[in-house]
Amino acid sequence: MSSDSRSYKAQVLAELLSRKLTRPLVASLVSCVHCGMCHTACHYALADPEDPRMTPSYKGDQLRKIFKRNHDWTGRVVPWWVGAKAPITDEDLEALKEIAFGTCTNCRRCTFNCPMGVDTASINRTMRGLLTAVGVMPEGVRVVSKDQWEIGNQMGVLKEDYLETLEWLSEELVAEVGDPAAAIPIDKQGARVVYAINPREVKYDPRTITNAALIFYAAGEDWTMASDWWDQTNFGLFSGDDQLGGTAGRRLFERVAELGAEKLVISECGHGFRSTRCEAQNWAGVDVPFVMESAVVTMINYIKEGRIKVDRSKNAIPVTYHDSCNLARSCGITEEPRELLRLVVSDFREMTPNRQENFCCTGGGGAMSMSEYTPRRLKSAVIKAKQIADTGAKIVATSCHNCVDGLSDLIKYYKLGCQVKQLVDLTAEGLVLEECAVRRTPRRVVPMPEPLPEVGPAPARALPLAGRTVLVVDDEEDARTFIATVLEDAGARIVYACDGDEAISVAKRERPDLITLDLSMPGKDGVEAFTELRHDPEIASTPVCIVTGHPEFRKVIYDRPVPPPEGYMDKPVEGEALVKNVRRILETAHAAA
Amino acid sequence: MEERKIGGRVVRLIRGDITDLEVEAFVFDITADLKLGSGYGGAIAQRGGPAVQKELDAAGHLPVGEALITTAGNMKASFIVHVNGPKFHEPDTEGKLRRAVSNALALAKEKGIREIAFPPIGTGLYQVPLDLCARVLMEEISGHLAGDTTLERVLLVALDSREWAPLVAQFSKGVSHAAA
Repeated sequence: MSSDSRSYKAQVLAELLSRKLTRPLVASLVSCVHCGMCHTACHYALADPEDPRMTPSYKGDQLRKIFKRNHDWTGRVVPWWVGAKAPITDEDLEALKEIAFGTCTNCRRCTFNCPMGVDTASINRTMRGLLTAVGVMPEGVRVVSKDQWEIGNQMGVLKEDYLETLEWLSEELVAEVGDPAAAIPIDKQGARVVYAINPREVKYDPRTITNAALIFYAAGEDWTMASDWWDQTNFGLFSGDDQLGGTAGRRLFERVAELGAEKLVISECGHGFRSTRCEAQNWAGVDVPFVMESAVVTMINYIKEGRIKVDRSKNAIPVTYHDSCNLARSCGITEEPRELLRLVVSDFREMTPNRQENFCCTGGGGAMSMSEYTPRRLKSAVIKAKQIADTGAKIVATSCHNCVDGLSDLIKYYKLGCQVKQLVDLTAEGLVLEECAVRRTPRRVVPMPEPLPEVGPAPARALPLAGRTVLVVDDEEDARTFIATVLEDAGARIVYACDGDEAISVAKRERPDLITLDLSMPGKDGVEAFTELRHDPEIASTPVCIVTGHPEFRKVIYDRPVPPPEGYMDKPVEGEALVKNVRRILETAHAAA
Repeated sequence: MEERKIGGRVVRLIRGDITDLEVEAFVFDITADLKLGSGYGGAIAQRGGPAVQKELDAAGHLPVGEALITTAGNMKASFIVHVNGPKFHEPDTEGKLRRAVSNALALAKEKGIREIAFPPIGTGLYQVPLDLCARVLMEEISGHLAGDTTLERVLLVALDSREWAPLVAQFSKGVSHAAA
């Protein structure tokens, strides 16, 4: 087939491949003997053994064929004999997209089980990078990549929202421990440690930030967070775009260097740690003048050095540990999380297989942002679900935010009845603050501001949502009652609606400060109601927090041609997390107004 | 900050988030379907409110290389000049980029705008080479400011050091050849 008959994109893709060929990649492309060993290593193949397209060697063959057609003399001379074939049409590229993005999480388990050392994940990432370069990618990949390129973090969190969130988390922590020194420092020049986080923490799980701040405070650490370039995650790892990978890494490195820190502590995120610690310096072509460390190691050191004290009996519920693929297989971090868990929980149970042989949570490789592949992902999750169920644990601990989402999703889907926590949560929950460095070391104590004298009963404003009206929209009475009770206990006035039509009319009548919106409802569903609400000038600016039991609707709601919801939570929601998210949204909305 | 004067008008190189600038107008690289999308588009939607997308919906479609103007809703800027720049290694990247910049400048002049900010167009997700973009921006802006225009200040806004370096390099080369 002459190159002239190829579509323009197919031609460009073939040309770009020549720029991406490295010796390790070529070795992986030429050394597969199709023995089939990778089949039993892949969760997609194990969950769907009758479909040969799920076998890792088949996925690798897609790039192998293009390589042979363009770069191997046998493929140029006798393509029919060696299976050399380059994509011809744009439809061919779409088919490659389905394989590269929809049937592999780049977990590298097949790599560890290949007798020839073929790194199929690297092959697949290269394929993703080629497709991304010609604009062929899932919509979620496009959205997240653009956010990281232009806003500086994967979730498009604006600077004012980020700072507002840190401010109220800081206020809350100061009030909780009764010490102004517990405040979260921002841009503290010359601090010993800079702490970088995943934007998911700001947007959906701020308790992990509070918990980390509590631990730094308890250890008496000289630390700070940055106001800019604070995202330690890197979507370039998933999309195969090395330019994005290098840019995201360089931004973070430069900011840490500007602040003059000795150490960058990376919050618990598997791909974030791998990208920042192991890959970004190569992508960016830079060196860094500071140490980089996983927060897991930081916490272990604090305990070993006696800077924090943890009581294991505070975490008595059975806990198992899920190894993040990026931490275990790509960074060799397998023993540190276990060491920490044995220090902070009293009933730790291993999952089998584990460490480098552990199975993917199914949410890796950017899978959580590609909702079109959710059914296949959840089908493949049966392997992980069985692993978890066999442990009998009620808490799955993990050291990765992607894994938190992937595991939470499959736990709900397979009705496993357990929850997911990160090690920072378990460590913070086990802290004995009175015996930590901050309370033992003599220091200048800054007194808390004197409280105003109380007259009569405590004012309602002491409650975090006092004076706010929240419209709770849900067709299920149990869910409606739970959400309403939690928010009412936090001081909010509650109004209700059971479907989309009622939600619009109650919103117009009551003008709530915020709406919690279920998506799956009879009649006008939440997606329709949300779109209508955003188009109605009277109520368009009312903040909305989606609360849904259908994570597959995430893409649907964010694809609406209207401003996105201010918050998004998966059912079942925890009361504390719900109040924190609602408060964050309200305070951010207030600041933006 | 770097600054040059062309025919009594100012071209200034600054660092920052273009969607958060106090400027009369700024340029946004949009797709043909005129959906704001994520990235800077998401920032416009969040900071500007629904008005901007509403105006875009009314316009419907924007061919590659063309420009159109909307208000900026609740943002600090007053106007947004939307251009549909080249994307993903498409043919004639330089020609399309040049038309997009030129049309944005012409539209600004037509509307009597005095100050406009440009980001590097398409150099992130869309993979337009940064040095090419820096050169085209400087050439088109220099040429425009050397002629008859309402524009008094043009800002080139780099988000980070990656964008800053080629813009500074182009700046230091001077603009006389471009204006010629």
